[in-house]
Amino acid sequence: MADEMTADFEKRYNGGPTIRAALGLPVGRSHVTVLFGPSGAGKTTVLRCLAGLERPERGRIRFASETWVDTDAGVMAPPQARGVGYLFQDYALFPHLTVAGNITYAIHDLDSRERRARLDEMIRLLRLEGLEDRRPAQLSGGQQQRVALARVLARRPRLLLLDEPLSALDAPTREQLRGELRALLRGQRMPTLCVTHDWVEALTLADQVAVMAGGRILQTGSPDSVFSRPANAEVAAIVGVETVIAGKVVGRQDGLAAFDVAGKQLWAVEASGKGEEFYLCIRAEDVILEIGAQPSSSARNHLAGRVTDVRPAGPVSRVAVDCGFALTALVTRQAAQDLDLKPGTPVTATVKASAIHLIPR
Amino acid sequence: MNWLPIVLTLKLAGLTALILVAVGMPIAYWLAYSRWRWKFLAESVVALPLVLPPTVLGFYVLVAVGPKSPLGQWYQALVGHPLAFTFEGLLFASVLYSLPFAVQPFASAFGSVDPKLVEASWTLGKSRLATFLRVTLPLSAAGVVTGVVLSFAHTMGEFGVVLMVGGNIPGVTRTVSIDIYDEVQALNYTGAAETALVLLIFSFVILSIVYALNRNMWVVWPMR
Repeated sequence: MADEMTADFEKRYNGGPTIRAALGLPVGRSHVTVLFGPSGAGKTTVLRCLAGLERPERGRIRFASETWVDTDAGVMAPPQARGVGYLFQDYALFPHLTVAGNITYAIHDLDSRERRARLDEMIRLLRLEGLEDRRPAQLSGGQQQRVALARVLARRPRLLLLDEPLSALDAPTREQLRGELRALLRGQRMPTLCVTHDWVEALTLADQVAVMAGGRILQTGSPDSVFSRPANAEVAAIVGVETVIAGKVVGRQDGLAAFDVAGKQLWAVEASGKGEEFYLCIRAEDVILEIGAQPSSSARNHLAGRVTDVRPAGPVSRVAVDCGFALTALVTRQAAQDLDLKPGTPVTATVKASAIHLIPR
Repeated sequence: MNWLPIVLTLKLAGLTALILVAVGMPIAYWLAYSRWRWKFLAESVVALPLVLPPTVLGFYVLVAVGPKSPLGQWYQALVGHPLAFTFEGLLFASVLYSLPFAVQPFASAFGSVDPKLVEASWTLGKSRLATFLRVTLPLSAAGVVTGVVLSFAHTMGEFGVVLMVGGNIPGVTRTVSIDIYDEVQALNYTGAAETALVLLIFSFVILSIVYALNRNMWVVWPMR
């Protein structure tokens, strides 16, 4: 118990849904839990309850040996006492203070030498050199995000809460900051709970994913397990990506990267040419199933396997194939009947190299 | 030109504005953030001086500070002379009379500060008071200045309440507006014109400063 944070609580809104959350995070080391789900799922409410900005109606929140919330005992620690770093979705920078003023806001009581050292450290860490005297309104979105991060990290919080940290940014900036944020969080000795509705962000950042919808946490697990093996149809619909496999680059050729996955070689188009460890993401509608021997086609990946499950979903069928790893394909019901797909049928799954989405791990 | 009423009026208005900063801020803070369901009653009480005839307000204050009221008796026991028809009595009435002119701009300025900034400050470990002093107050500066100046200017021009509560004692309760009225009654139009002109120019300058400051505030502190 001593090095864990546990939360199990309920928050009701007048006329709104009841939000229930049960979570466990390790304390004192870098660990990122992503709370993933559509907007309106109650993700931000969970963060606000953990930060002390909302009062749960029922439940308990414990941080290591401290009790933050215990509704039975009437305990409700104020936000000031919790030592969390809360990154607001639109950053909530103080408009009347400079960048330096914002970053040192929480460490005002340190002596001036130490404060200066901490400020310099944050400026370096988040590459804000030369912006110290600017006001928030004179910064780009990406710079504002980094200032907001510097402000919460400057006081060395024990828990980091990020509310859609990248959603306020334009797409190219988001692309760039995603990797930086991941590296930054890996370097911090504190757990992070990050809210997002962007699955790329979830896969990039997460050590653990909790899928949330309708005010409840539906599934918690490692990113590839949650995305590849959703516990039920609801989770599957939310995550949207049917196959996520962890893979390591074993070779590179002509802008393609080769991956060794469960003894099979998979080729994927690689934009960056950097990094070794990736998640390979394949949408079910990009998988083609064929009967019999390996055909010759323009697609790079032909994977022999067996059908393990066929589940009709409206006009299409969701076919699970075991080809060393679990792969999901979406075919029309007519095609499923014509090919006589049923558990045990040997098939060849074909995936274009460009249909495999790579996310650095 | 008789400067005594002008000096007295400036003193009254200055002290009134000062007291209203001290008294009005907590009231405004409470009005801006309280979720009490009967809050509208408090809001109505604060706004009353806006619609009440000054004579009505003055009458009640006169009764309240009179030698038969608990407040009047307590004051007399404390300082040795009655509160009615003194500068202190007049000051008390002025504070009540100008209350909405301070509290309403304060409250609306506090209320328009993005609550997320306040919450951000709390999560950064700052107490409610520290948050108020370092976030809410600086971001409400324009509204606070407006409230101070409006209550100052409003006190400058009050007439009915002064007449009811203060009477017309030179150097004690004889303010500018009473002075002008007296001059006109005495058919001394030149004296009235001089004092009136001073008051007119002064009011114009004050308001110009406020509006100029309010405009600059947004340049110095760009909100978003």
